[in-house]
Amino acid sequence: MDNSKPGRLKRIWAILKTPSAKYSLLALLSVGFVSGILFWGAFNTGMEATNTMEFCTGCHEMRDTVYQEYKETIHYSNRTGVRAVCSDCHVPKDWTHKLIRKTKASMEIWGKLTGSIDTKEKFEAKRMELAGHEWERMKARDSIECRNCHSFDAMSPELQKQTPYKKHMKAKADGKSCIDCHKGIAHQLPKEYVEPDE
Amino acid sequence: MRISKLSGSTAIAVAILAATLSTAARAVDDDAAKKLAQQNNCLKCHSVDKDKDGPAFKKVAQKYKGKADAESRLMTHIMSGEKAKFPDGHEEEHKIVKTSPAKDMAQIKNLVQWVLAQ
Repeated sequence: MDNSKPGRLKRIWAILKTPSAKYSLLALLSVGFVSGILFWGAFNTGMEATNTMEFCTGCHEMRDTVYQEYKETIHYSNRTGVRAVCSDCHVPKDWTHKLIRKTKASMEIWGKLTGSIDTKEKFEAKRMELAGHEWERMKARDSIECRNCHSFDAMSPELQKQTPYKKHMKAKADGKSCIDCHKGIAHQLPKEYVEPDE
Repeated sequence: MRISKLSGSTAIAVAILAATLSTAARAVDDDAAKKLAQQNNCLKCHSVDKDKDGPAFKKVAQKYKGKADAESRLMTHIMSGEKAKFPDGHEEEHKIVKTSPAKDMAQIKNLVQWVLAQ
C-alpha cells in the first residue's frame, strides 16, 4: 500500500486542471478578462515609466555624465521646442523591440550593483565600449529611432544648406544610415574615436 | 641697499614667471583642440593635410603664416557664421563652433592656434 501523498506542486496542478463546479464559465471568463486588462495595463504602465527622462537620470551614472552633455545639444533645447528624451533615441517604439531592449537593459542593473561606471573616471574608461554597443544597435536597425522623426524625403533643398543636403542625398543613394555619419550628436564622443576620412 | 637687492630678486622672479606664463599661454593643447574639432564635425569638411569641401588645415596655416591678424581672423570665421566659399564656387554660412560651456573663447582660441600650428 502506497501511503505517500502527492507533492505540493502536483496538488496545485491537480486543482488547476479540475473543472470548477462552483463558478460559471461566464464568471471565470469575466474575471480572466478583467485580470488580463489589469495585468497588461500595469505591465505597460510600468514599462513606460522606465522610458521617462526622470527614470533615466535617476541614477548619478547617467545624471552626472551623458545627461549633462545632452542638455547642451539641440535635442534637448532648440528653436521650436521639440525635445527628444533619452528613450526617443535609445528605446525602440514598437512593443516587441521595446521589450527586447528592456530585457537586455536589465543587465544594467548588474552594472549598477557592481559599480562598473560609478565614477566619472570609470565611465570615461568605458565610454568607447558603451557607445560602440549603442552605435552597433542603431546601425543594425537602420537608425530607426532617428528616422522616427527625420527622413531623407522630408529634407528640403531650399531650407537645408546645400552641402549637407548634397551629403544627405548621397548617403541616401549609398544606402547609408543616420548613425554612420552622426555619432556623438547628443553626447561627447569617446576620446578613442577617430573620424573616418571620407 | 637691502631694498634694492630684494627688488632685483623680485624683478627676476617676475620676469621668470611672466616668461613661464607667456609660454603656457602660447602652448596649444592639441588633444583639446582635436576633441573640439571632432565634436563640432569640423573634420567632415576639413582634414589636416587634405582638401575636402573645406581647405586642409595645413593650407590654412600656410595662408595665414606671419600675419598678425591670423588668430582673430579665424576666430571670426568660425564664430560669426560668415560665408565660406566651396570648391564648386557656391557660398554657404560656415558652421559656428560650439563649446561646452557655451562660447568659451579660450577653447576657440586654442582650436584656432592648433589649426595655425599645422
